[in-house]
Amino acid sequence: MPKPRSKKINPNQMDFFLDGLADNTPDFELTPDPNILINYDEIEEQNEFLFFLEDAETKKDEIQLDLNSFEKPVHYIQIEGTDRNIKFQQANNVLESLEAKGVHISYQCREGYCGSCRTDLLEGEVAYLTQPLAWINEGEILPCVCVPRTNIKVKV
Amino acid sequence: MAYKTFNRDSFNVLEQPMFFGRNVNVSRYDQQKYPIFESLIEKQLSFFWRPEEVDLSTDRSDFADLPEHEKHIFISNLKYQTLLDSIQGRSPNMAFLPIVSLPELETWIETWAFSETIHSRSYTHIIRNTMPNPTEVFDSITQNDEIVERAASVTEHYDALIYEIEIFHTLGLGTHTIKGETVEISMRSLKKKLYLTMVSVNVLEAVRFYVSFACSFAFAERAKMEGNAKIIKLIARDEALHLTGTQHILQHMAAGRDDPEMGEIAKECQGDVVRIFMQAARQEKQWAKYLFKDGSMIGLNQDILAQYVEYITDLRLKAIGFDEVFGATSNPLPWMDAWLVSDNVQVAPQESEISSYLVGAIDSELDDDDFGDFDL
Repeated sequence: MPKPRSKKINPNQMDFFLDGLADNTPDFELTPDPNILINYDEIEEQNEFLFFLEDAETKKDEIQLDLNSFEKPVHYIQIEGTDRNIKFQQANNVLESLEAKGVHISYQCREGYCGSCRTDLLEGEVAYLTQPLAWINEGEILPCVCVPRTNIKVKV
Repeated sequence: MAYKTFNRDSFNVLEQPMFFGRNVNVSRYDQQKYPIFESLIEKQLSFFWRPEEVDLSTDRSDFADLPEHEKHIFISNLKYQTLLDSIQGRSPNMAFLPIVSLPELETWIETWAFSETIHSRSYTHIIRNTMPNPTEVFDSITQNDEIVERAASVTEHYDALIYEIEIFHTLGLGTHTIKGETVEISMRSLKKKLYLTMVSVNVLEAVRFYVSFACSFAFAERAKMEGNAKIIKLIARDEALHLTGTQHILQHMAAGRDDPEMGEIAKECQGDVVRIFMQAARQEKQWAKYLFKDGSMIGLNQDILAQYVEYITDLRLKAIGFDEVFGATSNPLPWMDAWLVSDNVQVAPQESEISSYLVGAIDSELDDDDFGDFDL
């Protein structure tokens, strides 16, 4: 089971706490009860939705055809400046694979026409499953529509 | 050199540059110099949508309930978007069609400008459905100093190019005296104006629009004005394609293989390109100050929007092969991606409140025990 993404929320950025309105809420006025003392430092992760990211690298059951004898090749995606080496095997594209491991790249269309996810490729080769419409500069890849052909190293 | 609607000369269209070659004659797509433009046309057509498909009934009550300073943010942002699309709905046709030389590019420009007219109609749809006084809102666009000032800088390159093209088509190259003023029309200056116009169009679509999208989505992040966000999402999907179009044109120009003189001009104008981007970034920050003059909203304020301006400016400069100027490494509005993502655009009315449905998904079950401590 993948670990849920969790982050600490600054109490000042919340509309509501479970026990009342947050500070500086413009639309309402509540008189604080002097008997209730809140230590904001002790409050964490209230009112937060937890999303479980589907791991793109988990093998999905193919209903129609199980080609066990044709194992997909494994390549690794190395992230520059870190010691992370992300396994790429089952995901549909590099972007999905990175996201499943918590590496965030900005995106918009996720089908190769907007160019938002342009990323520098430092080492290795990728293949495009469809010809992307966005312009790609020398040394860049569009992670949303490519798969690694060899082990690759990218700058995020 | 007057414009010819149908150029009767025979020539090989594949040898023509994108602009300032021979006028186009047969609109044929069997042979193409840059097939990418036809792919863009196909994509754009597959995106076809109409603003009326999006239900705005909840937005009307949302808008009425907004505090005054947020109404100011919402209306001003919408007015600015209206201005930008009014320009984009006509200017690419006016400026680029008379000088384009490739059929596929000509058709892309027409398809592109057409989709902008859908955006313009959307703003009327939004304003008519959410505000009690649509006419006043539209009338005030040309009376608002902040907007008028920005309109001037958005259109100056377009207007300079269109002016020179008109003289070029009537009088040809050379030095002319028009109403007592001497105007020199050279191919070099025409091409330079075209290049800078294309840059300013890219800035308009890739920087200015995205800043305005951020404001629209900031409301929807709080489950307010979600029908509006749905429309903006469709607009953002189109704009993503348009900015790809301009990036292709700019890159072909800069590479110089399409037209060597254009390549030289692109090299010469590198400083101007950065200046146009910087000027827009400065104006967008100024605009942020105006938007939030009476107060910020939850999730967005002047500082965060200014940081986003820097981030998006860097991103777009890099896309056309320039170095970043601000060094902004991460997106200060990470939730933007979730709103911009276009592979899940749904326009059915029952889908338009999907996010408020999620927010409202609290336990609403009641039983007798809940009234246990009530006394009558």
